[in-house]
Amino acid sequence: MEVTKLTKKFEKEMKSGTASLVVLSVLAKTKEPMYGYLIAKQIEAESEDTPLVKQGTLYPVLRSMESSGLLESQVEPSTSGPPRRYYQITELGRKSLMEWIAIWNEIRDFVEASLEGVSHD
Amino acid sequence: MIESVDAYLTQLRKELAGCDPATIQDALADAEEHLRNALEQAYGHEKTEPEAAALISIIDKYGSPEEIATAYREIETLTQPALAERKPVRRKSPLNRFLSVFTDASAWGALLYLMFSMITGIVYFTWAITGLSLSLGLLVLVIGLPFTVLFLLSVRSIALVEGRIVEALLGVRMPRRPLFTNRDAGWWEQVKSLFSERCTWTAVIYMILQLPLGTLYFTIFTCLISASLAFMASPILEFIIDEPLIWLGEMAYHIPVWLMPLAVVGGFVLFLTAMHMAKLIARAHGALAKTLLLGTR
Repeated sequence: MEVTKLTKKFEKEMKSGTASLVVLSVLAKTKEPMYGYLIAKQIEAESEDTPLVKQGTLYPVLRSMESSGLLESQVEPSTSGPPRRYYQITELGRKSLMEWIAIWNEIRDFVEASLEGVSHD
Repeated sequence: MIESVDAYLTQLRKELAGCDPATIQDALADAEEHLRNALEQAYGHEKTEPEAAALISIIDKYGSPEEIATAYREIETLTQPALAERKPVRRKSPLNRFLSVFTDASAWGALLYLMFSMITGIVYFTWAITGLSLSLGLLVLVIGLPFTVLFLLSVRSIALVEGRIVEALLGVRMPRRPLFTNRDAGWWEQVKSLFSERCTWTAVIYMILQLPLGTLYFTIFTCLISASLAFMASPILEFIIDEPLIWLGEMAYHIPVWLMPLAVVGGFVLFLTAMHMAKLIARAHGALAKTLLLGTR
């Protein structure tokens, strides 16, 4: 495999691992339930340059997080366009987020420590 | 170059070809919700720029139909319906497989569904027949058409709810979102599509079929389960309550004592057989529900 192909694969694995962490943290910070488009907007606002994930890939992630009990949702009609599904973090989601943040910090420190001293050339 | 939300959805449907129909329906509903919300944000309330121009950046952020199709294909392999059967890890002996149905959640789910299908069958049948005959009868009057439209809309909703029940209890993947409707088309076009789409009518057929099928399921399993329970309880019946196992008119039949262990074991075997049968029938019914309730265009 070429380098770019390997990089693509690596990028995809990194993103799919962190997507649910990002979604949980966005929903933990807001009081009101949010629908998919708003969540995508929020993520876009928080990442300064181009957003890391395609917004469309958020929806299957939201759905699978709901089925594992991290989120709950309800559909509400909107004045224009199709009804919106509003997502809200559950108690299980909050508890999981706390643990996930701890794991994330551990991994980040470990990876940074092991990357130290790798030269670019 | 994608010029409208509908063009995007059409292309997404093409990309998802071969996927589970239920996945396609969900993916289309998600995409429509997002794209229309994004468009509304982009416009504010007055339409200043053409839809196609605003869509370019929106689709760029949302993902192209190919990318989205890939994402749904991947995630779908990870999330299975609640009671979907997983492949057994190691091969079990036939005896073990026969006995293990007792702890099989999908068999209990199937049994529960089949027992309750008579009740849902009565409701669906009554609703469908009343709705159909009133619709036909009123068609000569002014209120005929609105009434028929309301009836067919209710059929759509019931089809979605029944789909959720079927997925939960029978483990067949069914849609989780309502059928995608083209909102750009006028209300008359939407009404026409309600009439012309196959799935509206197959859902009515399903609702009517549910009564005879539900009655059949209920009869079979009430007989099997009560017979097996009676056999299992035969020692209690004979020795404690002093009641014969079988009454036929005036004739009472007792089981000889030496046959009693056999009757108890036989009752247990009959019960397990009924559970296996429930799984088989449930699989057939799930396939029927999938054919009749899903919108394939």
